[in-house]
Amino acid sequence: MDDLYEELLATVEQEASERYDQQTSILQPGFPLPLPPKLQLPHSRRGRKESGFHKTERICLRQILKALFQHQWQKASALMTNYFQNIEETSYRRQRSSCERFWRLGTEILRHHPRSKIDDFNSFLDRMKNIGVKNYLKICLEHSFHLLSNGMLEDANRQLSLAESWRCKDTCATQQQMIQGYRGLLDYYTWVQKRDALTETEKYDYTAATAKQDMQSYFRQASVNLSAIIKQPGVWDPFVLSYVNLLEFYDDHDAALQMLNDYAYDNKFPPNPNAHVYLYQFLKRHQAPWRKLVKVLRILQLLVPSHELMLEFCSLLAVPDKRKYHHEALKVLFSLLDYSSWKDNPDVWNSLEKTIQLVFKVGASAWIKEEWASRKDWWPAFHFSAYQAKKSLAENAPVAYSKAFVAGLLLGKECKYFKTIYKGGRKKRPEMLKEMKKYITNHNLAE
Amino acid sequence: MDEEDTRDYREPCAQCSEVTWGITDEGKFYCRSCHNVIEKTKEVTTADSFTANARIFSISKGLRKKTKLEQGREWYLCEGFQFILKLQADAIQALGVCPQFKDEILCSFWRRYLQKSRQGYTKKPLKDMMRIIKVSESSQSSDSQSLDCWSSLSESELEEGQSDENSGPASTSRSRSPLSDDFTSVCSGSVDGRFHRPQRQRTRMLMSMPMTLAFCSMSLLWLRESITLSELLRFVVEGHIPYINVYQSFPEELKLYGKDTHIFRVDSFPSCESIQQHIYKIAAFLDLPRFPEITENCVLHPNILCIKYLMEANLPDEIHSYIWRVVKRTGMGEEASLTFDPLAKPMIPINYDIKAASIVIVTLKLIFKLDDEFEWSLSNDAESVNRNKEGVEIFNFRKWYKTMKQALDKANEGVEEDVARYMWQCKKPIFYSSKTRSVVVKRKRMVVNLQQQFKKLTGSVPRTPQQPPSSFQFTWDEESQDKPCFHGHSLRAFLKEGAVCDLLNTGYWHTALKQCRKEYCKGHLQLEEPHLPRSYIFILNLFSFMLKVDSALLHAEVHETERLLLKAKAPTTPSGKRRRRVLHLIPCL
Repeated sequence: MDDLYEELLATVEQEASERYDQQTSILQPGFPLPLPPKLQLPHSRRGRKESGFHKTERICLRQILKALFQHQWQKASALMTNYFQNIEETSYRRQRSSCERFWRLGTEILRHHPRSKIDDFNSFLDRMKNIGVKNYLKICLEHSFHLLSNGMLEDANRQLSLAESWRCKDTCATQQQMIQGYRGLLDYYTWVQKRDALTETEKYDYTAATAKQDMQSYFRQASVNLSAIIKQPGVWDPFVLSYVNLLEFYDDHDAALQMLNDYAYDNKFPPNPNAHVYLYQFLKRHQAPWRKLVKVLRILQLLVPSHELMLEFCSLLAVPDKRKYHHEALKVLFSLLDYSSWKDNPDVWNSLEKTIQLVFKVGASAWIKEEWASRKDWWPAFHFSAYQAKKSLAENAPVAYSKAFVAGLLLGKECKYFKTIYKGGRKKRPEMLKEMKKYITNHNLAE
Repeated sequence: MDEEDTRDYREPCAQCSEVTWGITDEGKFYCRSCHNVIEKTKEVTTADSFTANARIFSISKGLRKKTKLEQGREWYLCEGFQFILKLQADAIQALGVCPQFKDEILCSFWRRYLQKSRQGYTKKPLKDMMRIIKVSESSQSSDSQSLDCWSSLSESELEEGQSDENSGPASTSRSRSPLSDDFTSVCSGSVDGRFHRPQRQRTRMLMSMPMTLAFCSMSLLWLRESITLSELLRFVVEGHIPYINVYQSFPEELKLYGKDTHIFRVDSFPSCESIQQHIYKIAAFLDLPRFPEITENCVLHPNILCIKYLMEANLPDEIHSYIWRVVKRTGMGEEASLTFDPLAKPMIPINYDIKAASIVIVTLKLIFKLDDEFEWSLSNDAESVNRNKEGVEIFNFRKWYKTMKQALDKANEGVEEDVARYMWQCKKPIFYSSKTRSVVVKRKRMVVNLQQQFKKLTGSVPRTPQQPPSSFQFTWDEESQDKPCFHGHSLRAFLKEGAVCDLLNTGYWHTALKQCRKEYCKGHLQLEEPHLPRSYIFILNLFSFMLKVDSALLHAEVHETERLLLKAKAPTTPSGKRRRRVLHLIPCL
């Protein structure tokens, strides 16, 4: 359940890019890690018997999370009506921790429910602000962001003013900064609107000059606020993207590159794969040298071995006559296939097939053995079962052939997977399979 | 009310010299005969009569007026409990128990309780005794010394004295000290709610919510009704018997406030064991005689109760003959060991349902061995026989397991859904003190608004309406495909060829039989579970679901039954069962 909760929180936060977490770096100074939600969730303490009311709360929460993940919004909202009875909880400790849950869960439901309207959303969040005063600022910011993403810039701005007028001890400085950051985002969107209004023809028009000036002022406001907030350690994805967009429009590539570099490589920032992705995309847009691109992706690979950019990384590495890059590509592909999301991807299997052939060509079959050593216990069941062979042959023939090639090489041509594919595909592609068998017999790795 | 307040004021009227005082709406005194209003208010009177305590009154004066507005009439906790008991008794009566239940049995238990705890129906209520002490003490000292007298009593004694003064409906007829009236009105809606404390609950058997159910269960036991304790609790959970938030249906005049909320509000369903403990205590407290005997014709007798569980667990009827033997061998069917006697030492346990379930489980272990091997291999045999032959179908353990597993999983899901959707909060907000009132009311309004908002989004999610109360949670049908019935199946696959009732199974496994002290032993099953066969664990879970008791408790009871069974000597007659080969699965823990 905790995992679910964690994921839920993660998605909520990612979507709203709500990065105002005071709890960071409580545990270890200098290494900002958010507290695990386990510590925040009130659990039935060992030894003390859980009351029926709390049991209902626990199970209800679990079922709501389940419904959310299965996208059963109606069921989730029905359960939510029950869950709201916990607002009447009398214990102060529990009350505090559950306020955030009401808000997060309710927002999640209202955001996705097909029949919810923006008015529902507004009234819900207004109520939430009243019960969880501790979260007032967070709720205001998130509310404003939601309004912003619905194009209601005016209302979003009003929410920010509300947040600004709210005072609480200790938070004033950061509060101001956060609000200014969101202001910057709002300015950016106004700027985008103005830019879009300025059509191609108007760009050279005399009357458009005032509009351009207008844009310029929004640009200045936005860039000041955005750059200020991006300097703070944290995860600021939408802010960063907006800022990069702004700078690119005015051709200030150096500043953008500098900012993206800081965002990705500064140790004060929490590790964030997206930072590297943005940097890579920026570099690619501006035709950066091959070496730089590879360097960024290499770091991304360490952070997220299953990232979708890894295929691109492999194609970058496929430089002829460079032995060490073949080795690296092989490693990347093998670790990609450790993840079930890539299990039936024809491109990965295809490039693995190609890379293996390349590796054989340069005579470094030991690399393959090295990769295989740690995987031979579980890959046969994970990838190369007879059932999967039948299934992929029926549904996804290119994958089946590539996989059969790999399986034959790694496990020998007597393995179930290869045999099944060989038998099943003999009629359709006899020559290719025969060639494959020949190749496998010549280059067998299996003991 | 007026009389109580004016009784202490004995001055004649200045105009007509009569002594018939009444109190106006503003709380002022007036003469009933000449309607002359004098400059005297209720509070002043009390201050007059107890000059020593004037300070206390001046403190409570301000509060009193406020609470006066909210309060209905003055009432005692036992009135509230009586009301709850009446509701529960009506609900149980509606389930179809014998009509004597409410008016004769429960009522007389309740009266006896009131009498024994000296809350009512007694010439010498508890408070009177305390009053005598108080009066004797205060009479020794003159009026001017009364302050010393009060202060010489420790605070607890002071409260005790007051609580006793107020601890019975009988006291309304007697002049009550206005002092206590003031005190109680501050802290609780009821008169004696303030003095209801957990420590005292133990020593003096003060009422609590679980005790209402204990009273009901005890009355059912006296009548030897078929509703077992676990069943009663299930009806409570399913809402057929009022328990959670019953105070909602209190009459308007009984206002809950302050301490009362803690007494009448419950946030859990009680467990079987806790109710049993209450029954033992109440029965001992009431000095009840031996309960009517549980003979073989009673539903609570294991022989009969087991039939019910066999039916519910969808097991063949044939098993009953083996159950009958186990009951006989273990001596668990004897009246002496079944009939509840509050005065007997050691206490005779009254968990008939759990006992019966444990007997069924032990019998199943005897027949199917339940060691994850024997029952499955014989199921294969049964399957092949069934395929070839027409006629009475032979019981197939595998098929039964699949059916039951499916039904149990589904039922568990349903129960979980019900738990998740249970509404614990009542519709009417109750609050501990007037200070928190505004917060509570505000929160309640918020909840209602939020619930309305989300209800709109709910749409028409099909929700099964409340089922009528039933003794069975599982029902089986001969005809239906997904709920096939195994009652008529024969056990032939598990018997020796040609024999009438000789079992094929000759082995019997059990866990270490050493008796452990109950208070130290709680996680027995937890420790043993990984070593126990899965089919046994499944059956344990099935029965614990049916009875709504913890599986560890049931396991302990099975253990107890095994002890009785194995302690009994092997029969001397050659036709009896062979001596079992005893396998010690876990020699010791």
